[in-house]
Amino acid sequence: MAIPVTEYNTNVRPTWCVGCGNYAINTAIKKTLSELDIKPNQAFISFDIGCNGNGADKIKVNAFKGLHGRAIPLAIGSHLANRKMTVIADIGDGGTLHEGIEHLIHAVRSNYNITILIHNNENFALTTGQATATTQESKPMYGLPDGKPEREMYISDLVLGQRATFFARAYSGDMLQMIEIFKSAINHKGCSIVEILQYCPTYNKEANPEWFAQKIQKLAQPVQSLEEAIKTSKTEEKINTGVIYQDQSIPTFYDRLQNRKNINTELVEEVKNYDISNLLKYLD
Amino acid sequence: MSQNRLVVKFGGESGQGINTLGEILSKAIKNTGFHNFAYREYPSLIKGGVASYQIDISDRRIGSSLRMCDILPILDIDAIHEYIYSVRENGIIIYDSLDLALTEEEKNFINQNSIKLVSIDTKELALDAGGIEIMANMVLLGFIWRILGLEIAPIEEVVRDRFKDKKIDLEAEIKCLLAGYNSQQTNGLEKPISFDKGLNLKDSLNITGNQAIALGAISAGCRAYYAYPMTPSTSIFKFIGDTYRETGIVVKQAENEITAAQMAIGSMNMGTRAMVATSGGGFDLMSETISCAGISETPLVLVLAQRGGAGTGVPTWTGAGDLSLAVNAGHGEFPRCVISVSNPADAYLLTQAAFNIAEVYQLPVIILTEKQIAESIFNIQEMPEPIQIERGLNNGTNRYEITENGISPRWVPSEENPVYLQNSDEHKITGESTENSKEVIEMSDKRLRKLKTLKDNLPEPVYYGNENTETVLVSYGSTGNTIRDLITDQTNIGYLHYSYIYPLKFEKLTQLKEAGKQIISIENNQTGELSKLIKQESGISIDQKLLKYDGRPLFIEDILDFINK
Repeated sequence: MAIPVTEYNTNVRPTWCVGCGNYAINTAIKKTLSELDIKPNQAFISFDIGCNGNGADKIKVNAFKGLHGRAIPLAIGSHLANRKMTVIADIGDGGTLHEGIEHLIHAVRSNYNITILIHNNENFALTTGQATATTQESKPMYGLPDGKPEREMYISDLVLGQRATFFARAYSGDMLQMIEIFKSAINHKGCSIVEILQYCPTYNKEANPEWFAQKIQKLAQPVQSLEEAIKTSKTEEKINTGVIYQDQSIPTFYDRLQNRKNINTELVEEVKNYDISNLLKYLD
Repeated sequence: MSQNRLVVKFGGESGQGINTLGEILSKAIKNTGFHNFAYREYPSLIKGGVASYQIDISDRRIGSSLRMCDILPILDIDAIHEYIYSVRENGIIIYDSLDLALTEEEKNFINQNSIKLVSIDTKELALDAGGIEIMANMVLLGFIWRILGLEIAPIEEVVRDRFKDKKIDLEAEIKCLLAGYNSQQTNGLEKPISFDKGLNLKDSLNITGNQAIALGAISAGCRAYYAYPMTPSTSIFKFIGDTYRETGIVVKQAENEITAAQMAIGSMNMGTRAMVATSGGGFDLMSETISCAGISETPLVLVLAQRGGAGTGVPTWTGAGDLSLAVNAGHGEFPRCVISVSNPADAYLLTQAAFNIAEVYQLPVIILTEKQIAESIFNIQEMPEPIQIERGLNNGTNRYEITENGISPRWVPSEENPVYLQNSDEHKITGESTENSKEVIEMSDKRLRKLKTLKDNLPEPVYYGNENTETVLVSYGSTGNTIRDLITDQTNIGYLHYSYIYPLKFEKLTQLKEAGKQIISIENNQTGELSKLIKQESGISIDQKLLKYDGRPLFIEDILDFINK
């Protein structure tokens, strides 16, 4: 029997703009946990700073609202300490692709068993609309009346180029698909990257529900190769959503730790005085 | 100076094997029954450049070096010009050729100080003994051992033990060692150790400060180590990595120091114990995380291994110029604890204490060490008894409950416990973010009360030496070792040693000041960082200072010269 979604509610009133994609994403995470039967205290979410991070006190789970750009390494440290916890890093496109881009790339390489939800609204919204790497080139932005004089960056190219073991693209306007994608991401044993195309009614009005409706096409099932996944993830014509790529054959970081092979406890269960007398031989 | 010391200093190019020579000699000296302290100087490169390995031999436990040495074996011609002026009167310089191209000034120095120049063709002796050219170092080692007037057995045993698993011709190595030991050229060069042997030191430990920090962390139940290499912190990573099969510790080399620090607070918040270690530059990158740990009240333990200079500075040299950094790093105002280690025994215990403080008081704890402590070899009888783990975990209604002593309930996220939000936003008692004036003040005040509680529970600095002296030196870290070695002979000075730097205790210092003592601070930095902190916290001005900031540690002579002036 699924846990009622209300179990994940807090009594903190949301502060997002009317129409903001964060409402739906927040609800989708709750519904996902509910449907997977993950109780509030069995999940841990590390939140970034940004509009998404303002959701930290709007969901009742173990959570940490940390620093801008750092939700991923904080989630990794949490996951390695206790793998019984379902660990999610919840972060925006600004935090992921700017302040903390190294964390994303290395997390993919290391293949920790965590889920990284990237809210991509194509701008730094909380600081009132600055350009990010995903903002369209020509679009005038805060402090950049002629738009940013640089090319765009694509999350899919970045993570699939690093041989991500799970890449999905969701859209904040499609609740049911979001839930299915989040469920697959959490169930994937490895580092799951989910790019969520998030409607920002204030600073990215162009990419509105009508626009998304025309652009999006749902992928029935993941493609078979990384090359195909990179091609399928291109957004020039249509935008494919759904689980785009999954490789279940790659072991996780923890599973590759030779010294943990025969240990069945979690690090959180192992904090006790350790007798170092057997280690003194290493002093030579 | 009545210091019972005899000093051997190997000089050569980095990469010529002087570390191996030094380590073997240090261990053999220990096994013979003498105390020793081994100090390395080396450049920031892999091959070439002048390096040294100095071993101070004594009849008592020591933790510092003399500036001057008695025996200077040179493996490379450049080293002679670097180290010639550090040879004491009647000292010996050993090289494989007498063609030293000495300047007039150098020749005069040698004559004036009756220094003997000895040439021994170690390569030829190695070949004659049936070895190969690279075994010349063994010949040199045997040669020195004979000059010291010691029996061959202990050093032979150390050599055998060291190379037993290596794919080399061990018997040839031993023959080379003996060739040097039995060389007729040692005649007339005897520099026997004139003081008595110590106790049976065979089972005592030769250990570096970094190994002791690593052991302290392991002993305290640290279960994850997040690394990023930076001298002189890196050998903590090595020891924890080298032992990880036995300990089961998760070792992760992170992509940078920001990541390492973030992983550490993630793991600590989840309820295990984790540690990071770095030097100044890497620590700068960790500063934002320290601030985050401060406001969110997440335990965090960081080792800041100091080296000389700002920027990249003199990266393989020592210094203690990051005390102010440790005390002030991170934006905003929040409580923290800063601890300074000075030797392996206190490093072992203080690292354990750091974990307890971090967890009980829910704040970042910074452990200061220095290259001089981190990489030098100390001899200690045994590791001290460990400190019991204290975690300060207790359930409560609200994670950030306002309390009188400033410490809120903290429990570990788990299936058995209620959830909470750990928050780097200013927050209400429940963890929800707030910008409400009253709540901001209440929560800030609560956090700062922890600092008062912590300060009340920390020990005063330790006073060493005669209480009735007029002069009291004040210091911390490796400088404290030099001073403590010195005051065993200098009964006219006392010494106040700070291990717990912040929050600063100053009751003892105030008493000394009020008793009219002459207080002198001795620091391995340019601006007197401890003096500044003392002034800031206690109002006590320390006007007399000995400051050294050339990348070298405080040598015994530095302090003697200053006091005698």
